[in-house]
Amino acid sequence: MDWFPLWNSLRIAAISGVLVFFTGILCAYYIARLPRVVKGILDVILTLPLVLPPTVCGWFLLMIFGLRHPVGQLLQQMGIQFVMTWYGGVLAASVVAFPLMYRTARGAFESFDETLAWSGKILGLSNTFIFWRIRMPACRQGILAGAVLAFARALGEYGATSMLIGYTPGRTATVSTTVYQLWRTNDDAGALVWVLVNLAVSAAVLLAVNLLERRNKQGRRAV
Amino acid sequence: MKSKALNKMLGIMLALVMAMSVAACGQQPVSEPVELTVFAAASMTETLTEIAEMYKAVAPDVKIVFNFDSSGTLQTQIEEGAVCDLFISAAQKQMDALDASKSGGDNPKGQDFVEPGTRVNLLENKVTLAVPEGNPKGITGFEDLAGKLKSGGVLMAMGNSDVPVGQYTQKILAYLGLDEAELAKAGCITYGSNVKEVTTQVYEASVDCGVVYATDAFSAGLTVVDTATKEMCGQVVYPAAVLKTSRNREAAQAFLDYLKTDACMDVFEKAGFSPAE
Repeated sequence: MDWFPLWNSLRIAAISGVLVFFTGILCAYYIARLPRVVKGILDVILTLPLVLPPTVCGWFLLMIFGLRHPVGQLLQQMGIQFVMTWYGGVLAASVVAFPLMYRTARGAFESFDETLAWSGKILGLSNTFIFWRIRMPACRQGILAGAVLAFARALGEYGATSMLIGYTPGRTATVSTTVYQLWRTNDDAGALVWVLVNLAVSAAVLLAVNLLERRNKQGRRAV
Repeated sequence: MKSKALNKMLGIMLALVMAMSVAACGQQPVSEPVELTVFAAASMTETLTEIAEMYKAVAPDVKIVFNFDSSGTLQTQIEEGAVCDLFISAAQKQMDALDASKSGGDNPKGQDFVEPGTRVNLLENKVTLAVPEGNPKGITGFEDLAGKLKSGGVLMAMGNSDVPVGQYTQKILAYLGLDEAELAKAGCITYGSNVKEVTTQVYEASVDCGVVYATDAFSAGLTVVDTATKEMCGQVVYPAAVLKTSRNREAAQAFLDYLKTDACMDVFEKAGFSPAE
């Protein structure tokens, strides 16, 4: 059996998970501080991929990064191509998974007790220190949840991915597009194998999260 | 005042409804408009819509309703009991499965939907090799493609093995002496789940070339660099037949006859079809 789709899905989900983790936190942190109107507008734009069907996201991505369109052509001249490559899969998964990270991180930041940050300032701590050592640990629960949701969403991305990178065995095939392709070609046995693989991976991820959360709680109690 | 006018209107409407129901009960086939339901392959959308407009002048009391989809889906809908007067399939396989005169593997369920004596081969389509604008990889034809696929420098889009156009492409690859599984492993082939998806991938220049019908290439304005011969993949024939479930067999037969006239063939040929031999 060719395990490429699993490897491809995992690398796409891992890379877009990391990308989305940092961009989502940054956006959540800075946007929470903006004036109300600007915040409202940006919030809508950044959350849209969550409510839009993935096919709509895929269409927009294709209209921007397709090789018939200016941005896509410009990037191609620079040697970067998103259509029909696995980088395109990272792009599609990131766009679709971003709102999950952003939303949950923002919710966590908003419930953060700002007096803790001020106390840190009074004690002469730097903003970077306050962010990474006070704010982030305090919001750990929410941020962790967001990261898991984003990773899981990226792992399961199908719609935008199939529109942007299609199904090329050995190059762009992911677990989800492989399942669809096998089902379309009446290979239910083959599809079942990949369905089981997907179930196993998803269960492993959820299990890891649960273990992590329990350890966190125990750690806290000890303190 | 107002309520009086309202009453009057209600009265008139009631009278109209009654008159209509009486007319519906009466047997007056001459003045009654006929509604024809035509199930046709998706690739005929543009041409048949145009022809239906023309047909209004020929038979003003016939109203044509279309259902365009992939031939396999249409076949399933007919099997499930959908009302259909005329069926035009993009391949013999789907028509055979509904035709009682076929048996064994061609009609595995032994179904009997086709009205005997009405089945004809209406049109022929061609399988073509299409490239995006500017032909970035300079592909000149199937032979040239074979060489380029072997060296691994191109990405070709084709329908998967469940789509008719994918089956034709498999035959072409075999004719060229190429091993599809090996090419797929090398990442030279990307699979679409219907011919329109393949067409779009070529149109968007996402791939270097794709194998689609002449009609799809035409409607998307793609550059066609080669056309598959009969030896490469066989003939692509569109059969048509009146169905037994039809309530207007004569009107359906009349429309089918009209499709074979020169005026309609002109429309078909403009779109890349040719008359079936």
